[in-house]
Amino acid sequence: MLDLAYKNIMRQRTRTILTALGILIGIGAIVALGSIAEGIDTMVQSGLELTAGKITVMEKDAGFFGVMGELTDEDMEVIEGIGGIREIVPMLFYMENMIPMQGPEWTAIGIDPSKGEYFIGENAEMEDGRMIEEGESGVVVLGYTIANRYNTEVGDFWTIKEDDFEIVGVIEKTDISDIDTSIIVDFDDLMDVTDSDTYQMIYVIPDDIKDTERIAENIEDASERLDAMTTKEMARQAGEIVDQIRIFTFAIGAIAALVGGLGVMNTMIMAVMERRREIGVMKAIGATNRMVLTQILTESALISLIGGIGGIILGVIGSFFVSSIFGGGQITAVVTPMLALTGLLFALLLGVVGGFYPARKASKLDPVEALRYE
Amino acid sequence: MTKNIIEAMNINKIFNLGMENELHILKDMNLEIDRGSFIAIVGPSGSGKTTLLDILGCLLKPTSGEVLIDGVITNELNDNELAHIRRDKIGFVFQQYNLISSQTALENVELPMRIAGVHRKDSRRRAEKLLRTVGLGERMYHRPPHLSGGEQQRVAIARSLANRPRIIMGDEPTGNLDSKTGKDILDLLKRLNKEENYTIIVVTHDLRIKKYAKRIINLRDGRII
Repeated sequence: MLDLAYKNIMRQRTRTILTALGILIGIGAIVALGSIAEGIDTMVQSGLELTAGKITVMEKDAGFFGVMGELTDEDMEVIEGIGGIREIVPMLFYMENMIPMQGPEWTAIGIDPSKGEYFIGENAEMEDGRMIEEGESGVVVLGYTIANRYNTEVGDFWTIKEDDFEIVGVIEKTDISDIDTSIIVDFDDLMDVTDSDTYQMIYVIPDDIKDTERIAENIEDASERLDAMTTKEMARQAGEIVDQIRIFTFAIGAIAALVGGLGVMNTMIMAVMERRREIGVMKAIGATNRMVLTQILTESALISLIGGIGGIILGVIGSFFVSSIFGGGQITAVVTPMLALTGLLFALLLGVVGGFYPARKASKLDPVEALRYE
Repeated sequence: MTKNIIEAMNINKIFNLGMENELHILKDMNLEIDRGSFIAIVGPSGSGKTTLLDILGCLLKPTSGEVLIDGVITNELNDNELAHIRRDKIGFVFQQYNLISSQTALENVELPMRIAGVHRKDSRRRAEKLLRTVGLGERMYHRPPHLSGGEQQRVAIARSLANRPRIIMGDEPTGNLDSKTGKDILDLLKRLNKEENYTIIVVTHDLRIKKYAKRIINLRDGRII
């Protein structure tokens, strides 16, 4: 009966298109906004690769990426007192021109050059130039993306606060956003330039990777100020935050889609009223109540589905805009198959729920009355 | 096989039962209709003709009494089972034709077969054959608004025959047609009755019916006279 349903909804072409448009906008919003959540998820997942096998220590209750925490040398001493640790790497972050919703223009990361591998990974190759050498001062290394964006190369200078740093190297593309978009500086240099005596994060590398969880617990036991997170723990927390963003973005889109669902209901109520007689005929010639119900539901589901498919297309287009507006290029919004499927199923659900009342009304029509309805 | 295609025993139909505007439309009516007969139900407006036809056609349940269609007692049947009786045993033809205007003549005739779940290929073939039988072989792909009244009524008759019913019921089938076209429709019904042994029951004001029907049932105030 699908062909019949299609023919029926196309009898009122304009009305059907307008109704589908209501669904389209809602599903478009769900998909476009949801793509941000997926983009954040991808970014966070790549960030987590950085911390594999490490313990990330931050001040308790500091922001997720250690933006606001303040760690001191005393904290370092506490950690040093715990056994089984191979390396302790303090890290300072400096964010240039923080813009709400978009993040900083760029981020400088202060790290001891001899321990740089713990941030950029052991296998990272240089695109051009070299890494910062031990004891070297006044130089920076750029991530691939940031070097491209500012069109700078080895030999140029980079200004942090008031000081100029010579660019000695560019790291090859890693696809890990935290590396590709950062500027790596000697830890002491960045502390001086930013006039800080505290820093936001300490990486702790255990002697034996199997001890990671235990050492993290020991750190937290040793100091009330410190929050020691393993990759597993960070993944869990990040997952929670991404899920919250997912729910939030879905909720916004769902409200819009719900309005579209009301439109479907309205359209189907009108269609049933207009076609009373016809429904009476269907019943007179032997259609059961269930058939009439299914017929109307198929029609409303079809309208919603057309809207849903259009919405996914709109969402994909929208996700490109979203990428350029939010996250300052750090977040690449992605429409995952799961997200598209969610949009489509939600559209279908709206069609069925919105169509149910009119369909039920149609199925209960008394054929004798409906047949003689003028 | 029972001798009578339809038996109605002691049927009463009361609308708005128990209310101030209670209407006693059919009163203790008894009726037997032979297989293959051509029956005309006549009477002034308000005499209960249409209500009787609705009850015999399983569109309406009597308030009391029993109706047997082709040996099946219909009183105890639910909506679904009644729909199946209408689908399989009865074909309807209405004064207003009641075709679905967005569908071609062919699709209209196919509709009861699609409702019955007949395979698409078979329903198409039968619909084509039926439209040729009623003389519309050339207009199968026209939609009702592009057909004349007489042609629309022929489509409706073809549709009523789709599932090979036992009974064709017509509610004023000539009521909207001019006299010549009306006669053609009555001729067609007569031919179906004679050649294919369909039981025909029509409610009508058309006086010419006397020449066609084997039996005239006269109603007055809800009773057969």
